[in-house]
Amino acid sequence: MKRYRLHLAIPLLMGFLLLLAGLPSAWGVAYVQCPEDTDGDGDLSNNADLPNVQCMSLTGGDGWVTMADGRELYIFSFSDVSAVPAADILDVGVFRANSPAPTIATRQGDELYLTLTNVGTFNRPDLFDPHTVHYHGFPNASAIFDGLPESAVAVFPQASLTYYYNNIEPGTYMYHCHVEATEHMQMGMLGNLYVDPIQNQTGYGGNPAATVAGKEGGPGPYGYVYNDGDGSTAFDKEFPIQLQAFDHFFHDASRDTQPLPFADMIDTYPTINGRGYPDTTLATPDPADGSLPGKHPAIPADSTANPPQPVGSLIKINRATEGTRILLRVSNLGVVQHYTLTVLGIPMKVVGRGARLLRGPGQAVGENVFYDTNVVNLGGGETTDVLLDTSGVAAGTYFLYATNLNHLSNNAEDYGGYMTEIVIQ
Amino acid sequence: MKKTVFYHGKSVIIAIALLMLLTASAAANAVVPGISGSTFNLVAGSGHFDTPDGDSLLLWGYGNQGSSAQYPGPTLIVNQGATVRVNLTNNLDQAVSIVFPGQGQVTDPVAGGSGTPGLLTREAAAGGGTVSYQFVASQPGTYLYHSGTNTDLQVEMGLLGALIVRPTGFNQASNRTAYGHPDSAYDHEYLFLLSEMDPTIHDLVDFGFINYVDNAEAFPVFWFVNGRNGMNTLDRNFAPWLPYQPYSALARTRPGEKVLLRIIGGGRNQHAFHAHGNHSTIIARDGRMLSSGPGAGPDLAVQDFTISPTPGGTVDAVFSWTSRGLGWDVYGTPLEDFPHNCTPAGPDDPVDPNTGEDCTYHGTPIPVTLPGLQDLAFGGWYSGSPFLGQFGQLPPGEGGLNLNGGLFFMWHSHNEKELTNFDIFPGGMLTFVIIEPPGTPIP
Repeated sequence: MKRYRLHLAIPLLMGFLLLLAGLPSAWGVAYVQCPEDTDGDGDLSNNADLPNVQCMSLTGGDGWVTMADGRELYIFSFSDVSAVPAADILDVGVFRANSPAPTIATRQGDELYLTLTNVGTFNRPDLFDPHTVHYHGFPNASAIFDGLPESAVAVFPQASLTYYYNNIEPGTYMYHCHVEATEHMQMGMLGNLYVDPIQNQTGYGGNPAATVAGKEGGPGPYGYVYNDGDGSTAFDKEFPIQLQAFDHFFHDASRDTQPLPFADMIDTYPTINGRGYPDTTLATPDPADGSLPGKHPAIPADSTANPPQPVGSLIKINRATEGTRILLRVSNLGVVQHYTLTVLGIPMKVVGRGARLLRGPGQAVGENVFYDTNVVNLGGGETTDVLLDTSGVAAGTYFLYATNLNHLSNNAEDYGGYMTEIVIQ
Repeated sequence: MKKTVFYHGKSVIIAIALLMLLTASAAANAVVPGISGSTFNLVAGSGHFDTPDGDSLLLWGYGNQGSSAQYPGPTLIVNQGATVRVNLTNNLDQAVSIVFPGQGQVTDPVAGGSGTPGLLTREAAAGGGTVSYQFVASQPGTYLYHSGTNTDLQVEMGLLGALIVRPTGFNQASNRTAYGHPDSAYDHEYLFLLSEMDPTIHDLVDFGFINYVDNAEAFPVFWFVNGRNGMNTLDRNFAPWLPYQPYSALARTRPGEKVLLRIIGGGRNQHAFHAHGNHSTIIARDGRMLSSGPGAGPDLAVQDFTISPTPGGTVDAVFSWTSRGLGWDVYGTPLEDFPHNCTPAGPDDPVDPNTGEDCTYHGTPIPVTLPGLQDLAFGGWYSGSPFLGQFGQLPPGEGGLNLNGGLFFMWHSHNEKELTNFDIFPGGMLTFVIIEPPGTPIP
């Protein structure tokens, strides 16, 4: 009798747990911490304005993306729920992973309160994976906010963890989940992150008021990459370019609850910001229905407010109205190999690597170790700041692509993968 | 699987405990283990080493005479300007040699000549042959040495090692620099020799099918730091349970101290070595300081958080950790519960030189509330407290691998596929640095 009951109890328990994990829970409540949330309602959209405090609220979960050849891939990633009241996050935030993860753009001197709520994996209710945010490259990090689960903490499904970062160093970083890093990163938990320099707000030189950046409402150039003191990293328009590559065998194995192929992992779908060429050149989605022009299938109606692949990578500048200097914030969050990028027909100047100005410690302002090149090589976890000076370039369409030419493909489809277009007007 | 994890946990605890016991009376600064002098007697031999997934692979390696073959070979530590002689005896069944990239002209110190002619260099004949090499270590720095015979196979099989040239005037007690200039000074030095292996090749050689080896088909699935796969990388130097892999890759330091990273691309592929915790200042590449001219020091150094030595290339970088700019007091608040002082280094530098604390935030509480224990998963190297040198409450069975309340930061390949041991995560090319509380004995 006892044995019979036990046998019955296990599938019942499993069923209950599946139900628990699979249903958008109405029981749990996300715990969002933000000093600006003065009324404590968990709604960050009705903020008091503390100028140096920035709050962001992410969910970690799963979702679907569509590759440029039409293949759908199951992914894990983050989604921005900053505008969602805390009480609704565990309902609204489920199953809406973005590729790339929402961009975190902040400023030197800003304190960032980043809340991660783990909404579980809707399509894999058997998983109880925790998640983290690893702010990759954050200087003088503390272990507790480093996002490394082995050396600190990760957050379980239905719970929230708020990270705190005091941004004192500008530059191009990245972020990703570090739980079961090879798996969760292959599955897509990767995003752009950059910190604007204080020089944007203060200007530089003898008449700093004249060089305050356009980003901060000043009369100077749109922005600076670093606190260069001489304007040598000024730019007029910026584009985060994050290399992410998917292995569809791995994603399909995850979708189908099969053993995951770590050793055989290869890059079959190289993407820039979550899309392979030519989808890289498509605009941001139509706000009316969340769809992308071209061959993307219609996106389910319930994700109109949050299309899964919202970031277009068409690099476009109108020199008459916007200026001539393009900043590419290049990062590689692929998990398999190094890649090299080139731009055909436009000179590339490398002004920073690893969120640091290329200037030696013994060098005065103006003595940089910038270099002109036509290729930049990045391993996983590396960033490079590239300025494109288009002033001497004829109007037209140019190409940015990986010189690992076998990765200019969307799996079997050629003329895809790591490529996008640069339109100079 | 659970058993393996438990075993590893235990071995790490034992390793760290032994390390601390052994070193209580030793020098207060970590030194790269290796053999020093100007004449080295190496033997090329073989052995079988265990991989963390339970495999056992044939290894060819250099060893110090009287010791077994090892992976990587003995780290040769010499002084700048020394005339270095390396005598090699070959116990393998094919000819073997050594080349020393970056060392200028290599001559034959034996009257009448040593070894047999080879393509890249003179070789030691199979089955007991000998050969000798001599060169002047004219430039300080970090270098690689490896076999110059049948290189694609022999280096894959394990015939490689590191060479460190100490600068003129170097003194371990009073003048620790990488390149002689004060801006290349350090407190602790650690080697990170990165490499990979394809077990298919090792098995073919082991089982007598060496003619079937096709290096064009090589597909590595094991990745190593100092010849060990994660988590064996954390075990101590010369751990007896790793008889062919003597070198640890665990780094330890105290706040504010300078750690010299000697990183070597020892494999056929490029690896992106990412240091959690802070940026490192890259002061040299391939045994040459990044300097604008004589006496200028590493004035062309740049900082980065990921370092990719090319295959065969080396990078020297200096890492340091303080709580500068953290925004809260890393030694704990409220101060009455966590009493500690903070004295800024000077009017322009708020960091206490003895504790690494940024005094700007002395007494500032951690700005967020950490969720309850039931909401979190805990890492084995977490002390239970976000504060340096402190311990906190953890659920039963969690934590336990952090003996001093240090901050653990992973240093690893960011081509994350390489964090595996033949299909099993985690492992591969990963290790840690521990930021230990001030006063913790190191090494």
